[in-house]
Amino acid sequence: MAINLEVNGASYSVEVDPQTPLLWVIREQVGLTGTKFSCGIAQCGACTVHLDGVPLRSCRVPVVAAEGKSVTTIEGLSREGDHPVQVAWKEFDVPQCGYCQSGMIMASLALLEKNPNPTDAEIDTEITNICRCSTYHRVRQAIHRAAELMQTREA
Amino acid sequence: MSKPNSKVSQKNSATIDRREFLTTTGLATGAFVLGFWVPPKTADAAIIAGAPWYEEPEVQEINAWIVIDPDDMVTIRIAQTELGQGVWTSNAMMVCEELQCDWSKVQPQYASANRDARESAPEWTLDVMGDGAFDPIGGGEPLFRGREPVRGIPDSLYRRMRTNEASSVRDGRYYLQLAGAEVRERLLLAAAGQWGVPASELTAKDSVITHQQSSRTTTYGQVAYLATETPHPNPETINIKPPSEWTLMGKEQNNLDVPAKVTGELVYGIDVRMPGMKWAAVRACPVYGGDVKSYDFDAVRDQPGVQSAQQLPIPDPSLLRGRQFSGAVAVVADSWYQAKTALDQMPIEWDIPPQSATSNTADMHQELMDAMDQPGTVRVDEGNVDAATVSADKIVEATYSTPYLPRARMEPGNATALVTDGRVDIWLGDQSPQETRRSASVITGIPEENVYIHLCHLGGGFGRNGNGPQAEQTIMIANANRGTPIHLLWTREEDFVGTTYRAMGVARLRAGLDADGWPVALEVRTGMQEDGFGPTSSFNDTSRYYVPNYRFTNHMTQFHIPCGTRRGVGQAAHEFYRETFIDELARTAGKDPYLYRRELIARTDLPHRDDMIRALDMVAEMSDWGSPLPEGKARAIALEEKGAEASGTATISAMVHTVSVSREGVVRLDRVDVALDQGFSLINPLSVKKQLEGQIVWFYNDAMHQANTVLNGRIVENNFDRFSVSRIKEDPPEINIQFFETGHWMRGMGHDRATSVQSGIGDAIFQITGKRFRDLPFSQHDLSWG
Ligand code: FES
Ligand code: FES
Repeated sequence: MAINLEVNGASYSVEVDPQTPLLWVIREQVGLTGTKFSCGIAQCGACTVHLDGVPLRSCRVPVVAAEGKSVTTIEGLSREGDHPVQVAWKEFDVPQCGYCQSGMIMASLALLEKNPNPTDAEIDTEITNICRCSTYHRVRQAIHRAAELMQTREA
Repeated sequence: MSKPNSKVSQKNSATIDRREFLTTTGLATGAFVLGFWVPPKTADAAIIAGAPWYEEPEVQEINAWIVIDPDDMVTIRIAQTELGQGVWTSNAMMVCEELQCDWSKVQPQYASANRDARESAPEWTLDVMGDGAFDPIGGGEPLFRGREPVRGIPDSLYRRMRTNEASSVRDGRYYLQLAGAEVRERLLLAAAGQWGVPASELTAKDSVITHQQSSRTTTYGQVAYLATETPHPNPETINIKPPSEWTLMGKEQNNLDVPAKVTGELVYGIDVRMPGMKWAAVRACPVYGGDVKSYDFDAVRDQPGVQSAQQLPIPDPSLLRGRQFSGAVAVVADSWYQAKTALDQMPIEWDIPPQSATSNTADMHQELMDAMDQPGTVRVDEGNVDAATVSADKIVEATYSTPYLPRARMEPGNATALVTDGRVDIWLGDQSPQETRRSASVITGIPEENVYIHLCHLGGGFGRNGNGPQAEQTIMIANANRGTPIHLLWTREEDFVGTTYRAMGVARLRAGLDADGWPVALEVRTGMQEDGFGPTSSFNDTSRYYVPNYRFTNHMTQFHIPCGTRRGVGQAAHEFYRETFIDELARTAGKDPYLYRRELIARTDLPHRDDMIRALDMVAEMSDWGSPLPEGKARAIALEEKGAEASGTATISAMVHTVSVSREGVVRLDRVDVALDQGFSLINPLSVKKQLEGQIVWFYNDAMHQANTVLNGRIVENNFDRFSVSRIKEDPPEINIQFFETGHWMRGMGHDRATSVQSGIGDAIFQITGKRFRDLPFSQHDLSWG
């Protein structure tokens, strides 16, 4: 069955079992590998993408649920890595192994879009992704920095 | 990138185009085959941007570490694997420091493990200094000498390609600096020859060579081709810079691969795509040592995309450092999800060794406890422990235990392999490519010289990326499907089966105290399975805290759970035992745990004694030790050292952990103060800070949350729902790090720091709730109070 998808503004038609998790369609059929697989049970957030602007863990979403909706992956943030969240991440040298960071960035961006200046407590409740290297200390600093950069950009 | 608006077909039957492989390049040093995959350039191509393996540059190398392009871009080959510890950057810094090239024009590239099988190390890399404490240039005694393989370090081109024991800087710095210096000298000789002036009149800085007298300049890029043909007449006379002359090293440098990690373009093993590639999902018998009795492929063979199924024998333990994993079944399909779905539905029966089929944590723990009552192996016996204990004023005894622990790195085990009749190519993240090279050769019968390992960054390592059989399984499948690239990927659950564990451990510590509360005798017994990695760690070297009578015995059992080099190895558990016990002694003696430690270190004659005292004093001051805290909050201090018993390399730190426990029993690590010995100098202090931040939370998880239990022979907690990992809300809000200079080289940073979080939280819980817990993780206990 052909499923029509929009990923980072481009349209795709993919022939897959409609129950295939969106993650695998993004990684294999669409061919964008920035979105990662780690637990497959919606626990870790490595596979976080935005569906119509809402963050979700794509390892547990059947591709058919994304039909006709707009998917944004880490590759859709910017071409050169100059989105404010990415700039903040580089400034604080956040990633260690980096494997969780696509998901971490997508989750953080979703938070910042909803709440342009989150407190530490709000970060604690909203950011539930796992980073096994434990870059949390820098993630927090970078979220605050990204909030500043995003506000300057809008001003 | 994929084409927008295109039909993406699921059946991809493209075959490998041999032109996609660069097979030979003629170099001055002789012809050899380079195995770097040249990515296809068509629109349907694999995702390759940011791949850490590159096309082999057209420009000739100057030595095996360095290639300089005409535009001054310097490629530096890295023989260790980047897994988040920053080696990609710190190794490049060591080369660049001596090469004196422009740091903004440096690109790291993985060294070829294939060339390593074909070429020998240059003479000048052989007597590699390193283990001495007091020679700022390189250390006194060589770490490994000549061509003899020492400590598993061969004399092949890149010597140690392993990434373990936090040793990349310690073992590599001397010859990496030399590699940079050798090329710098040859560039100078080349420019001198061109200008007809003595090389001694030239200076080099930021890739520019200057002849002051004649005001002539040239760049590295312009003379690089000449340097390739200009050997150094006496490479053994080249010296490396002492830390006082460093300009790049010792200063914080952002990691070179971070930009590719924030755009998603960095290629990990899991991201490797090959034309015509098939996917494999694997299920191994969940009881180690078990095998496949039967499986029914007919039940799933007609499912979409499914190609084949295959039984994989128990991997030869000699390829996996003696560890026994399980037999497995693989399903190969057009996509991974199809392979995994079919495997989930395929009936499989296991053959489980009866002695393992009923084993469980409680019995295993009891067996370890019983072992401690047996005589055991006496490792250290100083003075007369029994006599001193009998005459002691007071006896304190405590028994501790720690569970099995996995690495649970974020990237599940995977590898891609293509076996053809004369050659093996493997793409994977790997902390020991030299061993994988051998596995590939043994499994396929193809000589190691024809095995090409294309290293990728790892999505976390934490100890030889698991020591599990992901590469071996992949090669077995690819060997049975010659000509077809096979990408194997484990589910998270399978990753918990394919990994090794830090062994479960127990310890009994017994001290006699004199009337003033100072220890006069200490007996340490530890129990761990024989292959447990570090059953004697640290207690074997020193009691650390002064005691005139000291005995250490260890007691072994045999269990079927395979153990490996998890971050911190046995020492991490032993630090929990020892530092907790010292807190218990201090409290029994009614003394301040900081001053108690300080005095007991001061009484020793350990070579690094003064540095340990300095660490304690510094962290006490940083943390405002002794100042009042509100109810429900407490501070705990601990010392961490590796190597302090000898006069060689060492790493020393002291930490104060400020912890709060709510009345409901919710623990929070509020603040961590760290005083860390930096030796003569750190290479990249930024990476060291990041490693510390990461290890604090790593051992927080060990202290609070993590344990693997065994039921009916299998590991129970096999995904992040049952195996818990802390999130950002548990990260300590305040981490203060200060370094202090010492007169020795540092031993390493990546794996044994912040073990004190364990004893620190334990002692804070004791101070706040009055309850002393001696088994980890603490979250299994009721921590409420008041
Ligand atoms: S892979 Fe989707 S949440 Fe972990
Ligand atoms: S950076 Fe390694 S898991 Fe987050």
